Amino acid sequence: MPGLLEGVKVVDFSHYFAGPYCTKLLATLGAEVIKVERPGTGDPVRSIPPFANSRLAGESGAWFLYLNTSKKSVTLNLKTEKGHDIARELVRQADIVVENFAPGVMERLGLDFDAVHVINPAAVMTSISNYGQTGPYRDWKASEINLYATGGLMNITGEPDEPPLKEGAPLSQLGTGQNAFVASMTGLLHAEDTGEGQHIDLSIAEYGTNVLENALMQFSYSGVEFTRVGNRGYGRAAWGIYPCQDGFVGIIAGPDQNWPEVANIMESEELADPRFASRQGRLLNADEVDALMLPWLLEHDKVDIFKAGQDHGLGFSFVAGMEDILEMEQLVARDYFVELDHPIAGTYRYPGPPISPDPGVVQSWVYRRAPLLAEHNLAVLGELGYSSQDVERLFAEGVI
Amino acid sequence: MTAAQPLRNYRILDLSRIWAGPYCTKLLADMGAEVIKMESLRVYDSHRGPVNPAPGIAAYPDSDPGDEAWNRNGWFNCLHMSKYGITLELTEAQGRQVFEELVSISDVLVENFRQGSLSRLGYDYDTLRRIRPDLIYASMPAFGNSGPWQNYVAYGIGQEQLSGMAHMTGYLNDGPMKSGINHGDPITGSHAAGVLLAALRYRKRTGKGMFVDVSQQESAVALIGGEVVAYQISGEEPERMGNHCAWFAPQNAYPCAGEDRWITIAATNDYQWSQLTQAMGQPGLADDERFATNEARLNHRRELDEILGDWVRDQDMWEVTRELQERGVPVGPVLRGPDLLENPHYTDRGTFNNVDHPRVGPKWYQGFAWRMSGTPGQVHWPSPTLGQHNRQIYRDLLGLTDVHIDDLEETGVIGTKPTGSRII
Repeated sequence: MPGLLEGVKVVDFSHYFAGPYCTKLLATLGAEVIKVERPGTGDPVRSIPPFANSRLAGESGAWFLYLNTSKKSVTLNLKTEKGHDIARELVRQADIVVENFAPGVMERLGLDFDAVHVINPAAVMTSISNYGQTGPYRDWKASEINLYATGGLMNITGEPDEPPLKEGAPLSQLGTGQNAFVASMTGLLHAEDTGEGQHIDLSIAEYGTNVLENALMQFSYSGVEFTRVGNRGYGRAAWGIYPCQDGFVGIIAGPDQNWPEVANIMESEELADPRFASRQGRLLNADEVDALMLPWLLEHDKVDIFKAGQDHGLGFSFVAGMEDILEMEQLVARDYFVELDHPIAGTYRYPGPPISPDPGVVQSWVYRRAPLLAEHNLAVLGELGYSSQDVERLFAEGVI
Repeated sequence: MTAAQPLRNYRILDLSRIWAGPYCTKLLADMGAEVIKMESLRVYDSHRGPVNPAPGIAAYPDSDPGDEAWNRNGWFNCLHMSKYGITLELTEAQGRQVFEELVSISDVLVENFRQGSLSRLGYDYDTLRRIRPDLIYASMPAFGNSGPWQNYVAYGIGQEQLSGMAHMTGYLNDGPMKSGINHGDPITGSHAAGVLLAALRYRKRTGKGMFVDVSQQESAVALIGGEVVAYQISGEEPERMGNHCAWFAPQNAYPCAGEDRWITIAATNDYQWSQLTQAMGQPGLADDERFATNEARLNHRRELDEILGDWVRDQDMWEVTRELQERGVPVGPVLRGPDLLENPHYTDRGTFNNVDHPRVGPKWYQGFAWRMSGTPGQVHWPSPTLGQHNRQIYRDLLGLTDVHIDDLEETGVIGTKPTGSRII
C-alpha cells in the first residue's frame, strides 16, 4: 500500500533540526526525499552526540538517526559548477524544495527562489531561518536560546524570581519544522491546483510568537503583562507540576465540578473546604492547597497518582523520562515504537507516527532507517542519467 | 484584489475546543480553508471562559468581562479569526438532522473530545462515512483511539510532561519545569493540520477519505524523538541543564540594567568566543587555557557565566545586542509582551495582526505561522461571537428556510446565548 504522499518529490538542502524535521514528516508520509549533504562531513547534526558507534560517529548520532529516517542521502559540492548543475536537475524534478541556510546563502549558490522558479515554475520552496527572509534582524546570528528569548517564550518560562528559562529540547526549531511541513503541504496543494509554485518563509523566532497563546493577547487586551509563574498554571492553583514519592506529577484541579474528587483521592477532608471549591478560591489560597496536597503526594508513586486522577475524571499527568516513555503501557499497546536496524548504529526503537492515517486505506507511516552519507549517490544520479563512470569521475573531482 | 487562497476549496467542520484542534484549524483557516466552528450552547468552547466570570481577569478588555463575557475573552478571540461560528445541539433530533446535512457537505471533520464522545452521540466514523463517503475524520483525543488509556484526558500542560519535554526542562540541579504555554497543544495541532492536507491530496487522487487517529501524546513524543533514541544509545536520561547547552559554552541568560531585563548570549565556536572576548575588552581570555577550546569552555561554564554576567550587569540589553551582532556573536534580549508589539523587526514583517472585534475593539494577536510569496495569509473577519454565523451557514449554505431556522432557535437547538457552561 502506498503512503499518503506517494509520488511527491522533495529536494532537501536543510540541516540540523528545523528543516530535517519538516522533511522527515514528508518522507514518512511516503514522499521521496533526497537529502543533499556536503561531501565529507554531511549534515552537521551528524556530529551531535550521543553516538551509537564511536568509530563511525557521523553515521550514528541519535538526533541524526531520528531526524533523517526514510530519506535518501546524496552528497553535492554546491560551489562547483557540476555540483550546481546536478542540484538544478534535482530541482527541475522536485515538487518541494526545503532549505534552512542563513538568508542569502541560497542566492549565492544560485538556488534562491527566483532561480528555482525559472527552473521549475511549479516547485514550492520552503525556507526556514532564524528571523525570516526579510526585516532588520534577517542576518542576525542566533542559537536556539536566543530565539526563545526574542520569540517571547523564554520570558514566561521559569520561576518569577529566577532567570527566564529555555526549553530543554530544541522545540523552537522542531516546532518551526513541523509548521514548515504544514506550509509545504499548503503550497503543494496550491501548486497542483494552479501550476504556480511559491516561496514560503518561516522564522524560528516567529514560531515562538505564534504559540504565545494568551501571553501576547493579554497585554493587548488589558495591559497586564504575562509573567513567569514557575510550575503553577498562570492564574490557577493546584494546576502544575508537584513532587511525589518517585518523581513528579501533574495535578490538574479542574473542571470545578471535579474538584471534590481531588479531596477524595487524597483522603483529605481539609481539601474539601468550600473555600477551595472554585478556581478563584483555590487561587486565593494556593499555598494552603499545596501544603494540604503535598503529604499525600509524597507518599504515592507518580503512575498511581496519575491513574487515581484519571479514574476520577481528572486530567492528571506525570513527568515521564525516556525510560518511562519506552515502557509506557499505552504506547506499547498501540505499537507506537518502530524497531529499525541500521548497519552501523545497530537496532533501536524509534518513536512512530505523530498522527496515524487509517492503516486500512494507506500505509500510514513509511519508515526506513536514516541513510549513510552519500548512500544514494549512484541511485539518484543514475536516475538523472549519469553512468557509473560519470559518478566515479564526479567523485574524483570532489563534486560528490 | 487579493490572490486566491491556497486552501479555498476545502470545507472543515470543526468540533474542536481549547487549543490543539483550534490551532490546527487556525493554520488552515489562515490559508483560506472554510472552517465552520461548531459549538454547543450548553458546553461551548472553554476558551470563552465562564458565563459570569469574576471581574479583574486580564484576558478581557481592560480586565472587564462586560456583557456577554463569552464573546470578549482573548483566549478564544486569538484563535478563531476567519472561521465561521455556529451553534448546534447534537442531543436534539432536529440538531442531529442539521448536523448530518453539514457533514454531507464537509471535506473534513475535526474533533478533540474525550475519546469516544462523538461515538456515544451516535456518530462513529462508519456512521459518518455513510453520510459522506469520502469524509476525512480527524479524531484527536489525548491518548488516541485505542489502548488502555484511551479514555483518559489530558491537556497541553500534561502532554509536556507525558512526552518527556518537562523532564528535560528545568534549572540546573533542580526539578522539572513546565513551559509558559501549554506546548503540547500547538504541537498536535500542527502535526494534524499537515497530515489532513496530505489526506486531502490523497483523496483528490483516489477518491478515498479516511479516519485519522491522533494521539496528542504520541504527537508530542514524536517531536522530541531524538532524545528517545539518545537514551537507548547512552543509557542516560537527559539532564536538566538550565540555560546551558550540552554541546558548547558559554550559553546562558544574564541580567542587564533595568527591572527583570535579561540577555541571552551563546558562543558556539572558537571564532564567536574570540569575538565575544574582544567585545568585552578582554581579548586575553581567548587564549586563557580555561577557555581556549570548546571543550575547555564546557568544563568552565561557571567561570564563563560569572565573566559574562559581570560584563552585562549594568549595560542596556539593546546596546549589548547591537555590539555582539556586529561581531557575529549569537545574542538576543529576552523580550516581553510590550517589547514584542513594538519590536521593529516584527513590525517590519507584520508578524502580529491587529484585528477589530465588534465586542472588544482593535487588539493585537499572533499572526500567520508562515508567509507565502504568492498567496499571503489573510484575516477575513475577527473570531466569531457565539452562534454569529448561524443564519449565514444554515440559510445560505445549507438552504434551510428562515421558518426552519426560527424554529431551531425557539427550541434551543441553535442560538447565540449560552444555556450553560462547563469550563475547565
